[in-house]
Amino acid sequence: MLRASPWFLLALIALALLPLLLPSYWLFLLTSMLISSMVTLSVGLVSGMAGMISLGQLSFAGVGGWMVAYFNANNLPIPFVLQVLIGALVAVPLGIVIGLPALRVRGMHLAVVTFGFAAVADLFFTILNFPGGVMGKPVLRPDFLSHDRSYYWFCLFLFALLVLGVNALYRSRLGSAWLAVKHSERAAAAMGLNVAATKLWAFAMSAFIAGLSGGLLAGQVGLLSATNFSPTASLILFASAIMVGARYPAGAVLAGMMAWLVPEVLGRLHLSQNLGNLIFALGTIAALKAGGGVFEVAARQKKPTATPLFSSPATLAPTTHTPTDRVVLEVQNLCVAYGQVQALNKVSFSLKEGQVLGLVGPNGAGKSSLVDALSGFTPYQGRVQLEGRSLEGLNAAQRARAGLRRSFQQDRTITELSVQAYLEFSAGRALPKEELAWALEFAGLTALGLGLHSLNMGTRRRLEVAGILLSRPKVVLLDEPAAGLSSEESLQLARQIASIPARYGCAVILIEHDMEVVRAACSEVVVLDFGSLIEAGPTTRVLSSPRVAAAYLGEEVLA
Amino acid sequence: MIQAAIAGLVSGGVYALLGVCVVLLYRMVGVLNLAQAAIGVFGMFVVLVCYENHWPLGLAVAIGLLTSAVLGGLLGGVMAHWFSEASLQVRSSVTIAFLISILTVGMWIFGSDPRPVPNLVGTGSLWVGGLVIPHLALVILGTALLLAGSISLLLQHTLLGVWLRALAERPTAAELLGVPAQALTVGVWAVAGAISCLAILLIAPSRSPEFPVLSLLVLPGMAAALLGLFKSFSLTILGGLGIGLIEGLASSLPAVAPYRQALWFLVMLAALLWIQRKEVWDAAR
Repeated sequence: MLRASPWFLLALIALALLPLLLPSYWLFLLTSMLISSMVTLSVGLVSGMAGMISLGQLSFAGVGGWMVAYFNANNLPIPFVLQVLIGALVAVPLGIVIGLPALRVRGMHLAVVTFGFAAVADLFFTILNFPGGVMGKPVLRPDFLSHDRSYYWFCLFLFALLVLGVNALYRSRLGSAWLAVKHSERAAAAMGLNVAATKLWAFAMSAFIAGLSGGLLAGQVGLLSATNFSPTASLILFASAIMVGARYPAGAVLAGMMAWLVPEVLGRLHLSQNLGNLIFALGTIAALKAGGGVFEVAARQKKPTATPLFSSPATLAPTTHTPTDRVVLEVQNLCVAYGQVQALNKVSFSLKEGQVLGLVGPNGAGKSSLVDALSGFTPYQGRVQLEGRSLEGLNAAQRARAGLRRSFQQDRTITELSVQAYLEFSAGRALPKEELAWALEFAGLTALGLGLHSLNMGTRRRLEVAGILLSRPKVVLLDEPAAGLSSEESLQLARQIASIPARYGCAVILIEHDMEVVRAACSEVVVLDFGSLIEAGPTTRVLSSPRVAAAYLGEEVLA
Repeated sequence: MIQAAIAGLVSGGVYALLGVCVVLLYRMVGVLNLAQAAIGVFGMFVVLVCYENHWPLGLAVAIGLLTSAVLGGLLGGVMAHWFSEASLQVRSSVTIAFLISILTVGMWIFGSDPRPVPNLVGTGSLWVGGLVIPHLALVILGTALLLAGSISLLLQHTLLGVWLRALAERPTAAELLGVPAQALTVGVWAVAGAISCLAILLIAPSRSPEFPVLSLLVLPGMAAALLGLFKSFSLTILGGLGIGLIEGLASSLPAVAPYRQALWFLVMLAALLWIQRKEVWDAAR
């Protein structure tokens, strides 16, 4: 779905008309800006959206340029447009190879790896030289692009396509997935997302965009050399992308323009063009201090647009659903060990259809280990069956897709998304208005267009639960959903949780410290202490059992 | 074959020295400094300018070391002042901006014309059992070992070392206990700056003495630091020397020889992937 805002069209028309007014020097500069903007767009994709620092984007561009130069130097009968496209496609597998370390290596270490890649690519470009470079055989453009003006329009056309495409991607599920992976890989996997594929897509697409820019640069300047794609230049483009916030396509354009305009303006003021790089460096430091580039800070301060809903929420059933005897989740002899520490020791219990089962126990009893094991984040021994199907061998994302969903103790929601985008991402489908209205009521909200960053913690937690329920899971594991809520909010949440089986027909395991919440929400509880199951049964009986009281009071006294 | 490997000792020793600086900053003040080599290169260019103007070499070197120390200290001050509460990730990203700044200012001041580079150690060599060992390699090796030894002694047996370790483990707690955190941060940056200047001075005669090229030497230094798990100084030195030996060996194979200075990348990748092989997830829980 390609959507173009009026601003985008206006800017496009202005950019298309500019060459008619400007002398050829400026035309060359404008073309360079477009090409640089593609590189910053690719930085925004891989680093801004997906959160993986890549300091070697220009090296992908170098590969695209190298291919075009190669075709040209060998007089291969391939049309120029196709040459550029092939160059971009050749950069893709390289992007995936450089992306592979990103599956294990993160943050600054990844920055070092990608910068290292830039240095190595530079070495290769220098030694091998760009084809045609030594004999002085420049890349020739076809007749219809031979004029600088037509070439500029050609670049503009491709750039507009890229922006539209990237915009559509950012609004798509893949875009939300990139943001999800940036925020928390665990939470993303718990939503059923293939984290590795999501990361590799980001590298592949950004390498494609960067590769395209390299091919276009070959057409623009004719003769390429390693200096066109130096690691330092990569670094500076990365810095300007950070400084502006290239996650937004408009930010990428601004960053790409500044890369040429700032030195140009400085030159006209008879100042050293070196000042430009210093400005970028200082701007980057300021952006890091502010926690985001210009566009990111602006987006955070933008007033949310309230989208009114004209649909009444689907009503919640007032009565609690009585559990049947059909077992949904069967846990047998579950053991988890961290080195010598036995976190869970032969825990067995079953969850029946329509049941809200409380899982309680003092700190360190193994509750979180249990959730991590069931949801596929921690290796374990024993058996877990979901509706008769063995879950062993399934990873976290596969378990989520099979219908076993979990929430997290800490807030792991994706703050860059709007309420609606988050809900639809978590549900894994486009939601009809009634279900959105239900989710809003569940979270105590009134507008879908709000950004999650503007919501308080309690609302985000309830939104997380609502999103999980909308994915229509079979079993939900709620890991202390009431943490950080007031007692009134907690009880309200407890009543909502109690009504989940009736509304969505899924069973719930509720991990909770607050006994009021457990009493209000759960028909039965199991109690863990030191990794073993010490009691199980109806809530009121178990909670008044002396063993349970001892396990808890012991902990209370110690604390 | 062995002779070729020995030829790689000079590079390896310099990677080791730079790696020690990287580990020093990573452990003590929690930053992965991409600008580490550039700080040293800046000081080296000051030495070149002084040398060109016929100042005594010793004085020139002293001024260069001091320049790098001051530059490092300045950057450390920026870090301590504005980013003391920031995460490792943010602090390290700031060093990207530092690197751009130093490269820009360095090229601005010193230009890109080639300058004569003095040989600090001379070109003599030692004959041991039919093998030629350049004096330079011995000097670098000695410096690296001396450095690792004294840092370890300092950390284990002096009050300053205790302060530094406290600062590294629990910065806020250390500061509350009266450890002068800002001054120590600046100090560590300054010391690392001077050491990297020395390292760059030693390797400059055998590389093309260009500002950006030499500044990228931080990368093999990081590969060495990685082999020391960003923790152990002695392993870092061994790692750096190992990379140097591989480069030396590669120079005797005509097919790989031109690309030998990219081999550290493979070592780094292999080490990172091995160390991080179990890091399937971004957060512990």
